[in-house]
Amino acid sequence: MSAASPSPPRIEVRDLTVVFEGRGRRVAAVDGVSFTVPPRQSFGLVGESGSGKSTILRAICGLAPVTGGTVRIDGEAPPAGRLAFARRVQMVFQDPYGSLHPRHTVDRVLSEPLQIHGFKDRDARVSAVLSDVGLGPEFRFRLPHQLSGGQRQRVAIARALVTEPDILLLDEPTSALDASIQAEILNLLNRLRREKGLTFLMVSHDLAVIDHMCDRLLVMQNGRMVEELSRTSLDSRAVSADYTRALLVASEGFRRGAPAPEAVPVSR
Amino acid sequence: MSASPPLLSVEDLRITFDTRRGPVEAVRGISFKVGRERVGIVGESGSGKSMTGRAVLGLVRPPGRSQARSIRFGDAELTRLSEREMRKFRGARIAMVMQDPKYSLNPVMTVGRQIAEALRVHGRLSSTEIRACSVRMLEEVAIRDPERVLASHPHELSGGMGQRVMIAMMLVPEPELLIADEPTSALDVTVQLDVLRILDGLVRNRGMGLLFISHDLRLVSTFCDRVLVMYRGRIVEEIAAQDLPQARHPYTRGLLACLPRIGGGGAPLATLSREPSWETPLP
Repeated sequence: MSAASPSPPRIEVRDLTVVFEGRGRRVAAVDGVSFTVPPRQSFGLVGESGSGKSTILRAICGLAPVTGGTVRIDGEAPPAGRLAFARRVQMVFQDPYGSLHPRHTVDRVLSEPLQIHGFKDRDARVSAVLSDVGLGPEFRFRLPHQLSGGQRQRVAIARALVTEPDILLLDEPTSALDASIQAEILNLLNRLRREKGLTFLMVSHDLAVIDHMCDRLLVMQNGRMVEELSRTSLDSRAVSADYTRALLVASEGFRRGAPAPEAVPVSR
Repeated sequence: MSASPPLLSVEDLRITFDTRRGPVEAVRGISFKVGRERVGIVGESGSGKSMTGRAVLGLVRPPGRSQARSIRFGDAELTRLSEREMRKFRGARIAMVMQDPKYSLNPVMTVGRQIAEALRVHGRLSSTEIRACSVRMLEEVAIRDPERVLASHPHELSGGMGQRVMIAMMLVPEPELLIADEPTSALDVTVQLDVLRILDGLVRNRGMGLLFISHDLRLVSTFCDRVLVMYRGRIVEEIAAQDLPQARHPYTRGLLACLPRIGGGGAPLATLSREPSWETPLP
């Protein structure tokens, strides 16, 4: 792997392994996962709980230990002093209720990253980013409890965007929201990606959301890769793994007359 | 709907919350019937769907108040019952399953003890009978290794397993009506379908009625027989599940249109404009 190739992928994950150890148990949450995302593309990680999809995002931004393998951004490993890296790679979390400080105003939530990263003209940047995410100036001095779920997620997206990152790591950004609000947030994210030339790495359990948002996707199960697909092959159901097929069937809802569930083993 | 008399018949149900800014109506005069069938209530957060389910069981807590012209269950008028009399219906004849098994199971009690408790409350059984009955119940919700599950604490079970246990417990007294409030929303998609198949079998084999409350229109439209669509405290449309693609109310149509679909292309999704006129139910 040469870091000096002419145009390295924006995100390159190679043989990534994340192992959690404790109480004599050793769990490989992510087990040898590799994928690349070119600049300005959107890549999806899809799978059920425990598949390791969120852990990959956390490992990329240093919130989970990288036990093996490498993560490269624009061909380079994230530097030790991570401040510059943190400015470029930002995360949006699932739960807009839990990810905003309950006693910080929107203004403070958005100003703090600017201060940390030494931006000037903070005032102008805060009002610009608010309008980018479709919130009027009247929201600037509100507290999280004065916002609806959708508005909070807009603030969380604004907080991620305010440092002008290249990459957004999106961890189930709409799964806590109502369907109509989900549509608004997905439209917003797509518009922002276009306008700002962002690269997305998006995690979801919802195949339809990933299909709508991502050019390529990786299906995961139990920390391992199941298969990587383009949107086109997903749309035409050209999948090779049984697990992906099961996810596709499940995404269409309930089917009466389908075989009764087999008795399940007690796995956990 | 079948010709048999409905199990549950609700007329003009209203739920009001007294807040500092005056009373707020969460449910504004709804009427519906549930027979031995699967009825879905669909709506977004704040539509009043969960409150409706709780009101049937008399579980709306202050500062909420629920009143109805009539809530008939079989030949009983639930609105006239005292709290004490209501307890004979709650759990025994009308059961409820909530969203997240993590919060509905007691974390410091083994599953076996919790099920035994449910059995003891609803009947007089010896401990051998309780044991045998618990195992049989877990087998009915497709748990392969019931002995091990009985000995487990809730945190040792996956979400799907926990929800099966919850459903098994609710079924102890053989209720005639099951109110399920987002019973599968906390579960993985493939597990979700297993739990639905169990519920489906109960409706078919035991002739139980099911009131299925969910935000997930796609799931409800494929699982239920009839769907009640709630918007801001009113039932704005009632429709046979298979006819949902031809729904007439703009809210129902809007909800269907804003869902991303596999192969739907990357074009912007439809969003809801929320006209005030949407609060008017269809004639």
